[in-house]
Amino acid sequence: MVYVRKNVNKLTATEKRRFVEALLEVKRRGEYDEFVRLHIRHFRGDGERGLRAAHMTPSFLPWHRMFVLELENALIRVDDSVTVPYWDWTRDRSATSVPWTNDLLGGNGRRGDRQVMTGPFAYRNGRWTIRAGVTDDRFLTRDLGRSRNPINLPTKADLDRALKDPVYDVAPWDSTVTKGFRNKMEGWGPDSNPWLNHNRVHRWVGGAMLGGGSVNDPVFWLVHAFVDMQWQRWQRRHRNHRYLPARPPGRGRGQDGRIVARHERLPPWDVTPDELEDVSSIYQYA
Amino acid sequence: MAVSADGVSVGAVQGAGTQVDSEPRKRTRREVARLLFGSGAVALTPVLAGSRPSQSANRQRHTDIPFDETYRGRHIQGAPLPLHGLSALGADWRVTVDGHPLHLMRRADGTWLSMLDHYSWYGTPLEATRAAVDELGPGRRLRYMAPGPLGGGHPHGEAEHGVRA
Repeated sequence: MVYVRKNVNKLTATEKRRFVEALLEVKRRGEYDEFVRLHIRHFRGDGERGLRAAHMTPSFLPWHRMFVLELENALIRVDDSVTVPYWDWTRDRSATSVPWTNDLLGGNGRRGDRQVMTGPFAYRNGRWTIRAGVTDDRFLTRDLGRSRNPINLPTKADLDRALKDPVYDVAPWDSTVTKGFRNKMEGWGPDSNPWLNHNRVHRWVGGAMLGGGSVNDPVFWLVHAFVDMQWQRWQRRHRNHRYLPARPPGRGRGQDGRIVARHERLPPWDVTPDELEDVSSIYQYA
Repeated sequence: MAVSADGVSVGAVQGAGTQVDSEPRKRTRREVARLLFGSGAVALTPVLAGSRPSQSANRQRHTDIPFDETYRGRHIQGAPLPLHGLSALGADWRVTVDGHPLHLMRRADGTWLSMLDHYSWYGTPLEATRAAVDELGPGRRLRYMAPGPLGGGHPHGEAEHGVRA
C-alpha cells in the first residue's frame, strides 16, 4: 500500500501528536542515536580519499532517500499511521511558523547557549537528550536565521534554478561542480553565494543542524523529505534523464572508487541508486 | 524499477478449506518496509575504497603549517599527521580545542571544513579551527566522536567512550 508524506503544515493535531510521540519512542529505544552516528560516519570531504556515499557526491539524493525511509520504517514500527512530513521552506519561512511550534518541533534556541526550551524536544522535558553530538551539550541547539549575521531561507526561485537543470550531475561529481541538479539541490555554491537550497537550510537552522550531529534535530527529516520530493519533481520534469554517472568513472579521472555509479551498491545498504530512482510504489507526496 | 512493493505475490492459500484470495490484499506498511529493507539491519561497516590524488593535492603544501595558539580563550593546536602517506590528499590533521579532538575535513578545492560547521569552508586548517571556536561559543566542549583520520569511523558507539573530562 502506497503511503503518503504530507506537508507538515497540513497535519491534523492528532497526526502531529502521533509523529512527535513516534520520534520520542524511537529515541527512547536507542535507535535514534544510531541514525545520528550513521550520518556522522558518512560525512566525509570530497578532498579526502575513500568512497563518499552521502555528501558532495551524486548519491547525495538516493543516500538520503534511503536514510529517511529507514527512519520512517523505525517510526512505523512504533505507530504504523505515521509518515515523515515535509517542510516546504519556500512557504513557511519564519522562525515562528510551522514546524517551529510547540506541538511539533518547538522553537528557536535561547540566547547564549542556543538551547531549545520549548516543545517536545526541549531537554528539560527529559525525552530528548543528545548523546551523539559534536559538543558535550546534552540539549538540542538552534540558531534560526543565524542571529549574529542573519541569512534567509532559500526561495522558490532558488529551487527552480536547480529543478530546471536537465542533467542529474556532472564530472567531477563533487562539491565543486556548478552544473547538474544534484549539486544545485545539495547546495555547495561559489564563495560569493556559498549556500544554496539544502545546505542553506542547514545553515539557517544552525545549532545542531550545522555540524556532524545534524540528525539530532528532528527537522533534519522534514528537510530531507522536502529535498527528496524535489528529486521526484525533477524526474517528472525531465523524464529522459536519469541518475548519473551510469557507469563508474574510469581510472585516472580522480573519482574511481570514490563515488557510487547507477548500478553500484550504495553503502551502508544493499541497494543501488538505480533501485532507488522510483519509489512510487512505496510512498508519494501530497 | 527494482524497489517495488508491487508485483510480489501476496495472495496465498491459507490452509485446507480456506479460499485463495481473489485479489491481492492490501499490504501493511510494515510489509512494504520489510520488502524494501529485506536485508535487515543497517550494515554499520564503513567502506573504504582505493583512490588516487587529484590536482588539489598541490594546494596542501600551502596550508601545511602547524599551529599552537590561544584563540578567544581556547587553546587550539593543529599539525599534519606524520603518516601523511596514508592520505592521498593530506587531509589528515590532528587538531584539538582545549585538548579535545576536532575533526577537520578537506574539500576537493583544497579548503577545510570542521565537524562543528559542515557548511563553511576556509583556506587553512587554522582558519577552520578558529571558525569552529567561534561556533562553539563559551563554556562548551567538544565531545570525542569524530571519525578517525582515515574517515572510517568506529563501528560501535564512538560517543560512549567520549573524552568529556
